[in-house]
Amino acid sequence: MTVKILALIFSTVLFLTVVELIRRRRLSFKYALGWLLIAGLTFFMALFDTILFRLAYGLGFELPSNFIFFAALIFTAFLSLLLTIFVCQQNSRNEKIAQKLGLIENKLEALSRK
Amino acid sequence: MHLKKLIIVPAHNEQANLKRTIQEIQQLTDDYHVLVIDDGSSDTSAEEARACGVEVVSLVFNLGIGGAVQTGLCYALENGFDVVIRIDADGQHDPASIKALLEPLMNKDADMAIGSRFLESLPTFQPGPMRLCGIHFLAGLISTLTGMKITDPTSGFCAWNTRAMTRFAEEYPIDFPEPESIVTAVRSGLKIREVPVRMRHRQAGVSSIHHLMSIYYMVKVTCAILIRMMSAV
Repeated sequence: MTVKILALIFSTVLFLTVVELIRRRRLSFKYALGWLLIAGLTFFMALFDTILFRLAYGLGFELPSNFIFFAALIFTAFLSLLLTIFVCQQNSRNEKIAQKLGLIENKLEALSRK
Repeated sequence: MHLKKLIIVPAHNEQANLKRTIQEIQQLTDDYHVLVIDDGSSDTSAEEARACGVEVVSLVFNLGIGGAVQTGLCYALENGFDVVIRIDADGQHDPASIKALLEPLMNKDADMAIGSRFLESLPTFQPGPMRLCGIHFLAGLISTLTGMKITDPTSGFCAWNTRAMTRFAEEYPIDFPEPESIVTAVRSGLKIREVPVRMRHRQAGVSSIHHLMSIYYMVKVTCAILIRMMSAV
């Protein structure tokens, strides 16, 4: 019973935290949506735990907690991969900007020398 | 009263349409400066624009329509323009409607003017049924949330004055700029007016929104708008 309450509190806190971050423009829509969905899903699953249990047993887990840990692990792994991809894109964009900046400075220098 | 007017033409891989669009703009009688924003095009869009004698800002990588328009607004502020008008590179926006679009801005009636396809029965291009559905839904959503009745919330044919420019140069929606910026504008206290304009079918090339993605797009826009309602102004 306490687990259920903890889960409900956690998901609510997560949801409200993300909403507040959005309000303060620290998070934008694209990246916030995933977190809002997860918080919502967690809240829903905690509230209707019978669905959660049926899903866990149905998938072949001995205990519902095993399923919860497994799901959390998969989610974290997936999120890490997503973030890695994002970082990669940021790096290549930064490289392009650094190069362009250098080339522009060079052009300016050449122009001011004329 | 002489206003310094800028027309921005965001373009991403529009080499087939850009020259024609620019030449149409250049035929206008009023004096407008033109700026093409080459949004990381991999084709010859930038060269086509330069060949017409207009200024081009080439972005190092693709930012999307939001980033491209925002670049134009930053340019406008830096160079002291009084109004900015957006004309899309694909030829959908008829430059002949620009005068009408600027009227509310000239009269100080509005900070932002949006060109609508649905206000008058002008011989204007109507989007397909799916898009119409989506447009009416968004119009209803925005009306419910902000009280602002906009008939064409996905229209990119719009104009901004310095007040609106300043607000959006600082932050402009990335994902769905047109409907989201209406919500932002209302919440920021900017005045919006809709003006009937003429639009045409895209001349050549491919639109960036495909039919299959329509429903997915609608869900995402709705979420984005709801989130924007929560954001700090």
